[in-house]
Amino acid sequence: MSNIDRRTLVRGSLAAMMAGAAISRGAVADTSEPILLGVSGPLTGPNAQYGTQWKQGFDLALDEILAAGGINGRKLAYHFEDSQSDPRQSVAIAQKFVSDPRIVMELGDFSSPASMAASPIYQRAGLVQFGFTNSHPDFTKGGDFMWSTSVSQADEQPLLASYAVKRLGLKKLAVLHLNTDWGRTSRDYFINAAKEYGAEIAVTEGYIAEERDFRSTLVRVRDSNPDGLVLISYYSDGALIARQARQVGLKQVICAASSVYSPKFLELGGDAVEDVHVGTRYFPEDPRPEVQKFIAGFKKKYAGLEPDAFNAYAYDAMNMAAAVVKIGGTDRRAIRDAFAKVKDVSSVIFGTATFDVESRRVKGAMNAELVVRKGQFALWDGKPT
Amino acid sequence: MSSWLDYTINGLIVGNVYALVAVGLALIFGVSRLINFAQGSIYLVGAYIGWVAVVQLHTPLPLTIILVAVTSAIVGLVIERFGLRPLQNSVRIAPLLATIGISFVLDQLVMLTFSPNPRALPSQLPDVRFQIGGGTIGPLDLLIAGVGLTSALLLFVFLRYSKLGWAVRATAQDRDAAMQMGVDVNRVNQAVFGIAAALGGVSGLLVGMYYNQIDTAMSLQATLKGVVAEVVGGAGNVPGAVIGSLLLGLVESYGVAVFGTSYRNLFAFLLLVLVLVLRPNGLFASARQAPPEPLTGTFIAPSRPVRIPRWALLAAAAAFAILPLLPVSFYVLQTLINAWLLGMLALSLTLVAGTIGQVSLGHAALLAIGAYTSALLSLTFAVPVGLAVIGAGLMSAALGTLLISPSFRLRGHYVSIATLAIGEIVSLVILNWESVTRGPIGISGIPPLSLFGHELISPTSIYWFSFGVMVVLALLQGRLLGSHLGRSFRAIRDDDIAARAYGLSLNRYKALAFIFGGFAAGVSGGIAAHLYSYINHETFNTQQSILALTVVILGGLGNVVGAIVGSVALVGLPEVFRIAAEYRILIYGIVLLLLVRFRPQGLLGTM
Repeated sequence: MSNIDRRTLVRGSLAAMMAGAAISRGAVADTSEPILLGVSGPLTGPNAQYGTQWKQGFDLALDEILAAGGINGRKLAYHFEDSQSDPRQSVAIAQKFVSDPRIVMELGDFSSPASMAASPIYQRAGLVQFGFTNSHPDFTKGGDFMWSTSVSQADEQPLLASYAVKRLGLKKLAVLHLNTDWGRTSRDYFINAAKEYGAEIAVTEGYIAEERDFRSTLVRVRDSNPDGLVLISYYSDGALIARQARQVGLKQVICAASSVYSPKFLELGGDAVEDVHVGTRYFPEDPRPEVQKFIAGFKKKYAGLEPDAFNAYAYDAMNMAAAVVKIGGTDRRAIRDAFAKVKDVSSVIFGTATFDVESRRVKGAMNAELVVRKGQFALWDGKPT
Repeated sequence: MSSWLDYTINGLIVGNVYALVAVGLALIFGVSRLINFAQGSIYLVGAYIGWVAVVQLHTPLPLTIILVAVTSAIVGLVIERFGLRPLQNSVRIAPLLATIGISFVLDQLVMLTFSPNPRALPSQLPDVRFQIGGGTIGPLDLLIAGVGLTSALLLFVFLRYSKLGWAVRATAQDRDAAMQMGVDVNRVNQAVFGIAAALGGVSGLLVGMYYNQIDTAMSLQATLKGVVAEVVGGAGNVPGAVIGSLLLGLVESYGVAVFGTSYRNLFAFLLLVLVLVLRPNGLFASARQAPPEPLTGTFIAPSRPVRIPRWALLAAAAAFAILPLLPVSFYVLQTLINAWLLGMLALSLTLVAGTIGQVSLGHAALLAIGAYTSALLSLTFAVPVGLAVIGAGLMSAALGTLLISPSFRLRGHYVSIATLAIGEIVSLVILNWESVTRGPIGISGIPPLSLFGHELISPTSIYWFSFGVMVVLALLQGRLLGSHLGRSFRAIRDDDIAARAYGLSLNRYKALAFIFGGFAAGVSGGIAAHLYSYINHETFNTQQSILALTVVILGGLGNVVGAIVGSVALVGLPEVFRIAAEYRILIYGIVLLLLVRFRPQGLLGTM
């Protein structure tokens, strides 16, 4: 089929799009054209920052994939559609992707409402929706075309609880969490694990994403007399809470979920995030080669910028997509089946990632116990703060 | 007990922060009777100019403040001159839409220039902390309080004792009379916008330093809280805005103290509704003050609607009905499905806002009520989906009317603010009422649409279904407008005193309009729930309410066909501009502004 000329190909794809993708997809494949992934995510709107971070991670991974010879000689590329994390737009994008024969797989969306509203469309059309930041426990229950490398909170939170309770010896915890599906699910897993390890939960407070003022919340925390604060937060709100906690005179140990792991957390938090403990999936001095390659490559490509957790998720996701496409080729169903076949894909977050076919998620995230020392994330040396 | 002292201090501190925005809003409202939705964007611009000054130019604090104030004032003057002045003789509602468009444009410009990543904005004041109660305050708290109080005081003196200040107040009281007395109204407006923008910019700078964090999402939140504080204090009353802000801060802080953090905004908006119902002019309005809105309905000026011949409508309806049979992509169909769903919401809003004059800014709440009703009926009680969607309409009609009824006695902008608050309250109740709504986890696995046992799964069948429902609702609404009831609605909109004199019971008619409108919105929400299969409290947010209002104004208030044309336009435009990637919302904002500028009565005119 490599002798189909370009004009025929374009006309063919247009016709296929017009007819609603009824035409067989294999017929328009051409080895000179890149293999195209569709990305649905926020580039404008309130979550725009995460879409930009995705792009950074994707682009780095794609550079490396191309340098290593691409996918059996073909280039891998993505087409990013801005959804503003709005379900109304993500469903339209989903229809666009499923009826575009060039798209072999979809990545995203960012928020659960946007991703899960589009899931029925991807499932019915038979296009894989690879929701690599979708930790909502029901995301992969949308169907056998929904796969996720988002670290399951059932995995991550016990690790954080073990850091806080077993390693730091905290016995009475105040939990502050983002009141979203992610924050709420995480909180429940955290509390269960912490209780199992013998800690007591003094108070839990859920806050909305737009919140900036936490002083009154922190008075409630203070009155409950905890010996440690646990933040199930993103980096911007996590930094705000840490700052205000110090301002209202709370001196307790602060322990935060991996989602705060970002140079922005240090920049926004300043002195207040000194000695904050963070359970993460990787850290800069991690000797693992995949981590060193990722960090060095990222700094080189982005003028010395330190990568953060969302960059890493996107980087891993693109590498996973490449591994899957290598096995599955460009047929959408074969790609779905390839997810079950990929083994031990090198991953910053998991070390090596292999899907659990039942849950369509990856288990066994890596664990690193970090602490902020002198304005930098460092491996915790076991000394109390 | 010492905790209560801490809660009080914290409430005052955050109230202090709100006051900076509220004062600017109050000033503009006082003169132009306009809720300036762009105030939050000027605040954003100020914060980022401050970042450039502090981080890149290393200016000392006084110079930073002057730089930010001057640049923001220039932005304000540009907005006034090019965005709002051309609209001063058009419909009263056009400037409101223009400020929404301006805020889109400004927010996007900032985002494109500085990237959406949050940035640290370090405070330039020495880091000294003073112990008060259990916590500490820093010099920035004092500076913010100082700026807030000083500006309120200066404005008070300016308005009361300077000649330009008198001109401002005269203009506020009666624009035409002021012009007859030789007041240069344009100069007054310029002065007000300049001052308010300077204040807005400086507040963005200070608040950014206070949290050591600025990001492009801060603008809408600032506007929301500022509007609440301003209205609580009495719209257009500058010292009232300061006291209103402090009160808002206190109520939020005590709300957190008693019920916990997730109830915080619930209390802010309940306070607002309570104040509006009990003292619609705000807590600090004097009894002598003239009513804040005109007695007769100049808020929505009648215009001549564009007459579309019946055959053209029929032809358009037929063309859209057979569209799925033509070779169009599912993407186009899905986009039009979104347009039809928005169209149902717009029909609802154009009835209550356009026909009876209750401009609602919380209409997404009706969608949410419908969506949750339909989802829960079909999931928990196994009601067939077709019936559940009708149930959604009925529930939205009943509950929506009940919730909005306290605002029936309000007029003009106050209705908008009350409905905005009610919309937020509904969303927060959904978030917190976990036993029913499953809170932030949301409801997943909602069954797809089905009719008489046949599942509607293909985009084609969903298209026909939603198009059909919308057409039926539109026809019903067209019948309604032509009936005696429709004429009564318009009589209330145009002159409620005259309408009352003719024996119309205002509340009853407003309730009827909301029942009909609530049904349409509820059905739209219900269908959306089954389409998405997953909903949570974020699915139907404030942006949806603002979008719906934009559609309605764009199409022409009260105009049934206009609502549908507007929906297709506003769903379609951002999709058409997809090619422009990050720039598409910017282009959308500019197109919106141009439409308001050249067709302020809407594409098809007010009916």
